[in-house]
Parts: sequence; C-alpha cells; structure tokens
Amino acid sequence: MSVLARSVGNAFRNKIRTAAVVAVLAVAIGLALAMLVANQAVGAKVQELNASVGTTLTVNPAGGQGFEGGGEPLTAAQAQTVASVTNVTSVVGTKALRLQTATAETSTTQQGGGFGPGGQQASVTTNLTAAIDAGTLGNRNGSATNTGGTGTTQRVRTLPIAATGIGAEVDSAGKALDITSGTGLGDYTTAQAKALVGTTLAQKNNLTAGSTFTIQDKTFTVAGIFDAGTAFGNNAVYVTLPEAQTLAATPDELSTMIVTVNSMENVDSTKTAVQSALGTSKADVTQGQRNLETAVSSLDSVKNISLVAFIAALATAGLIILLIMVMLVRERRREIGVLKAIGARNRTIGLQFVLESLVLVALGSVVGAAIASLASGGIASALISSNTSTTAAPTTQRGGGFGGGGFAGGGFAGGGQGGPFGGASQLLTSVSASASPGVIAAGIAAVFAVAIIGALVPALLTARIRPIEVLRGE
Amino acid sequence: MIVVKDLVRQFKSGDRTIKPVNGVSFELEKGSLASIVGKSGSGKSTLLSLLGALDKPTSGDVVVDGVSLAGLPDSKLTEYRRRDIGFVFQQFNLIPNLRAVDNVMLPMEFAGVRKAARLKRAKELLEQVQLDPEKQSRRINRLSGGEQQRVAIARALANEPKLILADEPTGNLDEQTGEHIIELLSSLSRDHNTTILVVTHDRSLAQKTERCFRLQQGRLTEEVKSGLHR
Ligand SMILES: Nc1ncnc2c1ncn2[C@@H]1O[C@H](COP(=O)(O)OP(=O)(O)OP(=O)(O)O)[C@@H](O)[C@H]1O
Ligand SMILES: [Mg+2]
Repeated sequence: MSVLARSVGNAFRNKIRTAAVVAVLAVAIGLALAMLVANQAVGAKVQELNASVGTTLTVNPAGGQGFEGGGEPLTAAQAQTVASVTNVTSVVGTKALRLQTATAETSTTQQGGGFGPGGQQASVTTNLTAAIDAGTLGNRNGSATNTGGTGTTQRVRTLPIAATGIGAEVDSAGKALDITSGTGLGDYTTAQAKALVGTTLAQKNNLTAGSTFTIQDKTFTVAGIFDAGTAFGNNAVYVTLPEAQTLAATPDELSTMIVTVNSMENVDSTKTAVQSALGTSKADVTQGQRNLETAVSSLDSVKNISLVAFIAALATAGLIILLIMVMLVRERRREIGVLKAIGARNRTIGLQFVLESLVLVALGSVVGAAIASLASGGIASALISSNTSTTAAPTTQRGGGFGGGGFAGGGFAGGGQGGPFGGASQLLTSVSASASPGVIAAGIAAVFAVAIIGALVPALLTARIRPIEVLRGE
Repeated sequence: MIVVKDLVRQFKSGDRTIKPVNGVSFELEKGSLASIVGKSGSGKSTLLSLLGALDKPTSGDVVVDGVSLAGLPDSKLTEYRRRDIGFVFQQFNLIPNLRAVDNVMLPMEFAGVRKAARLKRAKELLEQVQLDPEKQSRRINRLSGGEQQRVAIARALANEPKLILADEPTGNLDEQTGEHIIELLSSLSRDHNTTILVVTHDRSLAQKTERCFRLQQGRLTEEVKSGLHR
C-alpha cells in the first residue's frame, strides 16, 4: 500500500458516487476540449481566410463595378505599372469572355454594349451548352447588385458560360485553381488552343481531359477539369490570357488585374499606391478582404466565444473537483484524524487527497475526450451558424450579385472563399484537423492543472484537522 | 521515563466547564507496566490522549525522556506520535476499506519502512495477536469486534514505540484471548523495556500490572497493591 494505491482505492470507495462525479466531470471536460478544438479550428480558418484573400487587391476599369459601362479597358502597360508599386508581389491579368451557344447568340448580342465595363466583355460563340438553367436566374439578374460581379457582370436572359483568360494558374479572384483531373495549361503567357473546364460544364458536355470543343469555330483541347466548389464557378472555362485576348480581338486589354500584396499590414497602403499609380479615372482598386471583413470578424467572435466557453468549462471542472473534495474531506474527518494520530504528516494526507482527485479527473478526461471527439464538429458548426445568422442578410444579397453576373469571375470566386459559413463542411474538415493529439493533450494538461488547483484547497483543509478528531463520535 | 506535571484539560459544555483531567501528576519508569481504572466518563481516554499528543492540555506538561511536549511544534508532535507512541484506541479507529495487514503497515509506511519489510513485520505482528492468517488480508469491515481490536493492537506495536497507550485493549476479547494480549504486553515491557499504560475496567488485568492508578474527579491516585508484583 502506497499513497497512490490508497488514493486509487479511496477514489473507488463509493462506486456509485464515483461514477456520478466522473460523469459530471466528463461533461465539463468534454465541453472544455470541444471548445478548445473549435477555437483552434476557427482560428485556423480565420488565418486561412486572411492569408488567401486578405492580401489580394482587384483592379477593375473605372466604373467597371457598375452597370454603366464606360471607362477604358485595362492594359498590359498598366499591369507593368502596378507590378512596379512597392510591396506588390505579383500581378495576374485576366480577360473575361462570354461564351454563347451559337443559337442563343442572336438574341443576346444586341445587348452587348449595354453592360459594363466598357462593353469590353466580348461575346464569342461556342458549341458548349451552359451547365446552369438560365430560367431560374433570369429574375435574379434584375436585382443583381454590383458587389459580386467585379467587372464581369452582365444582364443577359440566357445564361452564358464564363470564359476567362488568366495570366497564371489562378481563378479570377487570384485563388489557385483546384484541378481535379488532367493538367494545367502550362505556360499561361502564350496563346494555346487548350482550356480548363469546370466540373459541371464538363459533365453537361461530356468532356474529359483530352476532349475537344470549339470557341469561335476554333478547336480547343480540354487540358484539365477544375472544381471551384460551386455551381456557378464550375460553369466556366479558363484559357490562357493571350488566347482570350486573341479570341476577343483585343490584344493587350485586360478585364481585371489581381494584385497580390506581400503582407496583410501593407494591403491598405498598397491599395492607395496602386490607385494613385493608375489614376482614379482609369481604374478602381478594391480589396478582396473588404468582402470578408464581416466574415472574419464574426468568425473572430466565434473564436472568442469558444475561448470563453473553454475557460468557463475548465473552471467548472475545477469547481466540481473543489466541491467534491471538500465534501470528501468533511466526510473523512475522523479518518484523517486517525491517520494523524498514527503519525501521518500533513503533506502525506494532502498528497493522498490531491492524487485521489487526479484519479477522478483522469477518468473524467478519458470519457470527456471521447465526448469531445464526438461533439466538437457539431458544436463548432452550431456555434458558427448561430453566430453568423445576423450576417446572413448581407451574405445573401451578395449571393444575388453572384447570381447575376458573378459567375463570370471576380465576385464569384470571392464567393467561394467568402463562404466561411456556407463552407461549414470546410470548417468541419479543419475541426477534425484541429482535434490533433497535441491540442487535446494541451487541453487535458490544462484540465489537470485546474484540477490540482481545485484539489489543493481541500487538501490544505486536511492540515487543519486535529488528531483528536479520532476520539469524537462518528 | 515519563513525567506528568499538573496536567489539566477542561471542556466547555454549554455554559459550564468540565475538567475530566484536573491536576494530574505522576511519573512512570521506563519499561513499567501500569494501569488506570475509573468510572465511565471519569476522563481516562482524555488523559491518555494528552499523553499521546493527540490533544493539548489546558495547562500542565508531559515530559518524555526529558523533552517537554508543550514546547514542541505540531510537526514534532506528529513525529512523536509516529515514532514513540503506540496508541490502541477504545474505538479501534482502523481504516475500514483497507485490509487488516494494510492497516498494520500504515504507521511503518509513514515512518519510511520499505515495503517488503513492513509486510513481513505486519504479518508477524498479526500472528502475535493471534489473528488467523486467512483473516489478515480481509478488509477491516469484514472482521469481528475482537478481531478488529487485535489488529488495532498490532498496529500500535508496528513502529516499536517506547510508550504504548492502550485504551481498553481487552474490552472485546474473550477471557483466553484477553489473557494472551496481557501476556504479550507484559512481555514487551519486560523484554523490550517498553513503557505500557493500560486503561481498563478489567479487575484481573489491573491486578496484573505493576502499578495501578485510579482516576476520580479529575485526580489520579495510586492504588496500593495488596499482593506481590506479578
Ligand atoms: N471534546 C469534548 N468536549 C466536551 N466534553 C468532552 C470532550 N471529550 C470528552 N468529554 C467529556 O469528558 C469526560 C471524560 O471523557 P472520557 O472519554 O475521557 O471518559 P472515559 O473515562 O474514557 O470514559 P469511558 O470509560 O466510558 O471510556 C466525559 O464526561 C466526556 O463527556
Ligand atoms: Mg474512554
């Protein structure tokens, strides 16, 4: 019999009570761990959002965000200018095209000059069929706002396919393309009769890597299939920038430029610098992050809530231990007196009680970790959906914007990233990723630290019990 | 050598104070075997708890081998209880969820005796108090009153104390087993020079001790022995 063996024995002295205490502790510990995991997951998500979108600027022709048209198209020379601005790490130009199926063309081309910016979005024919039913979208087009469709908006009743010429393997918001089969386009700075096709569009037209289709009667080979994660985003085709410029017969013209800034802190100053380098009459510079500010800030509040809940659950576990141990010390008053009467030191008895509480906490942690691993995903998504419901309204408005014209590029891919809420499944992936043994171990270490603090108080109380208690009646 | 000087212990019960120990003085030679008799409630257990440093006197002092208990800090009193005293409680006060042998091992654990050594000694002691080997590994709450009493005696002997304070050690035992325990205690005083003070209601036990004290109205008086010692 050692102190430890006695502590373990004492922990199981009243099995029903031990089971009840362990169950209550497990709930508190489980909640604490789940909150910690959720906190880590949301933190990772915020970082990811900031990293992916926070450092990009989008340059559109002046007035390009409205439907007024007008303004001069952007040029390759302007891209050079922007590239030389301090803190700019890269500039990717895009050229947006509208692909119309040959039959739909006649009914829509007449609107050609009516949409912005500058009517630069050339309409070209294709043998592809759009993957999205235009019928349901026609109405939304009417209410489309400008936020989403950066420079590529249009008001056609028949839904065209978005084709974008890109200067690097990124979508029109500057996010790397997720190519699910086949390969990329290789050299994005030369004209090539190759294209990347979105999954749904490829499906609709029975295309796979290596298949061919036509644009303006020119035959293109499908180099790869990409997945933008959304229906609109996948109703799209990417070709190289020079190829798109050739198709539109507007060499050197760009629809948008995606400017990557070297760090988050420099985004604001660089935005101003790019704007003044290009001139306010020539171009509009928008910050990708702006769309996400609300998203990030509400995710941040989720992060704070989960942190507070973690601390509260941890404190609850500590309090449970404190109360239980105080109760046990009172109950075993006479026995503590016996131990003292036969010569036990105060610290031996104190240690025995702390160890006993740790046995309870260890059991609670095992059960709690199991609870946490089952519950953390659900808790994280519940936290996020309840916390973000207030921001849902503007989000859906932007959705309308996407519906209207965003599919063509800019706003749309922003939608894909800007959907930290819609992307609950994405978050859940990061939740499971964040439920790493390291995080759980850190959480359990915190639980043990709090338990020791909780147990120290009653353990110190035992020092005040006098050996004469032994002669008192039960 | 134990010197008790003018020991007083008073309790407040309601608005009046009672003094079960009220000016007790006596000396006990090392290795002597003495008994205390007295009516129930006369203060025998109270006096024993003062001698065993379980309780502190209201006034007066106990001097053990020249060391005054009144001047010792709590940690030293703990050490005194652990090393020098073997206390047999009237209510046994064993730890109910531990086995008999574990209870006997406890004081040795507190004294830092190695595990194998304490197990060996605990078994020997339980044999000396005639507890069936089969019952040695039973939990206390599965033992009879008399069996528990013998485990309590074995525990008091564990650290080879120089003073054994036994409160009614034979109260729950049959005559024959009681005789055996008395024989065990007197052999300790004889062979190991252990000082033994026994509280008892048992006339025959009191007769067998070298000295016999009577506690009455808080005062201790020595009874004059009629016959020869032993
Ligand atoms: N903590 C206490 N508070 C108040 N009174 C006490 C306390 N402890 C003991 N007493 C009283 O002191 C007196 C002596 O008690 P004690 O236990 O010493 O008697 P005793 O001689 O051992 O009796 P018995 O033979 O029945 O065991 C009793 O009247 C008891 O009620
Ligand atoms: Mg008594």
